[in-house]
Amino acid sequence: MSSIRKITLLLVLSISLILCFLGSSVFYFLSNYSYADFYKRLELRASVAEKRHFESNQRDAQVLKNIREEHLELLSDEKEYIFYCPNVSAIKQVSDTNSLPIELLNLVYNRGFANYQKDDIFYFGRKRETPNGFYFIIISAKNYYNTHHLILLKKVLLVGGFIFILIIIYLTNLFSKRFFDPIDKIITKVNTISTENIHLRLDEVKNSVEIKRLTTTFNNLLNRIEIAFETNKNFISNASHEFGTPLTAIIGEADVALLKDRTPSEYKEALQKILKQSERLNKISQSLLFLAQIGYKDNKFNYAVLRTDELILQANEIMNQLIPKNNIKIDFELLPENPKKLKIMGNKELLILAITNIITNACKYSSNKPVIVSLASTNNDIVIIVKDQGIGIPESELPFICDPFFRASNTAAYDGYGIGLPLTQNIIKIHKGELVISSLLQKGVTVQVKLPIAKF
Amino acid sequence: MEKTILIPIDFRIESLNTLKYALAERKQEKSTIILMYSQYISDSITELLFYNPAKVIKALASSDFNDAIAIISNTHECSLHTVKIELFNGLNKNAFLNFHQAHGVDLTYLPKDYCLKPHKNGFDPIPLIKKSKVEYREVAWTSDHPTTNKDELNQLFN
Repeated sequence: MSSIRKITLLLVLSISLILCFLGSSVFYFLSNYSYADFYKRLELRASVAEKRHFESNQRDAQVLKNIREEHLELLSDEKEYIFYCPNVSAIKQVSDTNSLPIELLNLVYNRGFANYQKDDIFYFGRKRETPNGFYFIIISAKNYYNTHHLILLKKVLLVGGFIFILIIIYLTNLFSKRFFDPIDKIITKVNTISTENIHLRLDEVKNSVEIKRLTTTFNNLLNRIEIAFETNKNFISNASHEFGTPLTAIIGEADVALLKDRTPSEYKEALQKILKQSERLNKISQSLLFLAQIGYKDNKFNYAVLRTDELILQANEIMNQLIPKNNIKIDFELLPENPKKLKIMGNKELLILAITNIITNACKYSSNKPVIVSLASTNNDIVIIVKDQGIGIPESELPFICDPFFRASNTAAYDGYGIGLPLTQNIIKIHKGELVISSLLQKGVTVQVKLPIAKF
Repeated sequence: MEKTILIPIDFRIESLNTLKYALAERKQEKSTIILMYSQYISDSITELLFYNPAKVIKALASSDFNDAIAIISNTHECSLHTVKIELFNGLNKNAFLNFHQAHGVDLTYLPKDYCLKPHKNGFDPIPLIKKSKVEYREVAWTSDHPTTNKDELNQLFN
């Protein structure tokens, strides 16, 4: 079932339920009230009749009669009975002669007064005791209000409720259609986007906050997909370039060497050049293999609890061996007081490799200007920040910086083949961490690594 | 003796450097920190009806900003009692003095060179604080490493 139908059905059902409840309670309380009110009117008439009948003063009786006629409206089918009954056994006879229900008279006799209803006739009876017997004062009438007004009310409630529900069905349909229309549009538009026209984006919607958020989310998703597509394209061209360059050098060198007869020393030189290029080729293919291994999800590495400050110090020692002229400053100013907040679960070799990779890049691209390595911890993560003052990364190339073989356009003067950073990113990814790189061109790069604190 | 320290902030990580240097200065004493954000209060009666400072603070504080506070708190775990963020809606000197007294502030730290960049409806309370003649100290920091204009966690490390 579509959402429009579902919303309509749910709303209509709940509103009709509420409406039924409201209508029936109105009807119930009003009819209850009308019965009580009608008996009260009968009671009033009975007491006036009693007073008039038993009043010894003729003038007072006349006044009461006038009041009765002028101010108390005659009910429909109103009948007044006053009769004498000498004893209990005479009740049956009295009831027969006046065609009054015997149950009413018994009730009146037992209680002193009583309400009674038979078919659509309502009775009110009262007993007046005298020394030699008692009187029954009975008023009977038809409840016109009950029979006519309440039926009208019932009709109004039923028809009104029905019309109301029809209106609700129409309105909910209308509104839910209006609500879902933009979503339908989005679906049609997204369906038209395929690999050929991945640059297409959804139009911004102005009047609905939620729909606007949905379209921006879709657009952001499309942006990321587009980048991933481009990454794929870049990878092939970059990889073929990286593999191609040493191969061209090898072929060229061999060609030149074979052009004519050479002296052994010349052959030796040529072979050495070929060997150097082959070693480079080997290194590239090996690191690519390693990258692929780390990226492989089901890989199981040996994990242990590690202290990040120790990792950084060890990485620093390695750096001192690799680049003796380095200018690394380790900043432990924001180190947490609680050593537990420095511990992470991870593979020591891989993490040291990742950290040295980042620091090597920082030293290399800043020509050994100062590099600051800081360590801090939030409540959930360890934060390692590496800041350099190097050549920076152009902003347009930042999204691709972690792609294999990608090298920023301003790195031609520096040796490298674009494997280090993707490797680092994969290592951090398998440790459930996060790598954020921000940069100002010509001023420096800041690398931020977040790794989750080990939970004990 | 525990002291209450007031620090004006603009919900940007860079402004937390004041907190970092203030705490570095007060390592021996225990401190309670009040981070004060100044904001004009709305004139609209409906907005005032649903006004909730906790929600305002939650909306303004990014997750990186909360992380930055956590980093500083973790660094000074022993000397730090609590860090809380309060909104100041006053407009004049007396309102600030009132705020100052109500929170029992002993000392105020202000950034010397950094200029607060408040969000929408916010304002810079530093001139007001200086005019109020409460006890304050200024801290300065310099950064060798240029940072982007984005609000990033690395602005805490310089």
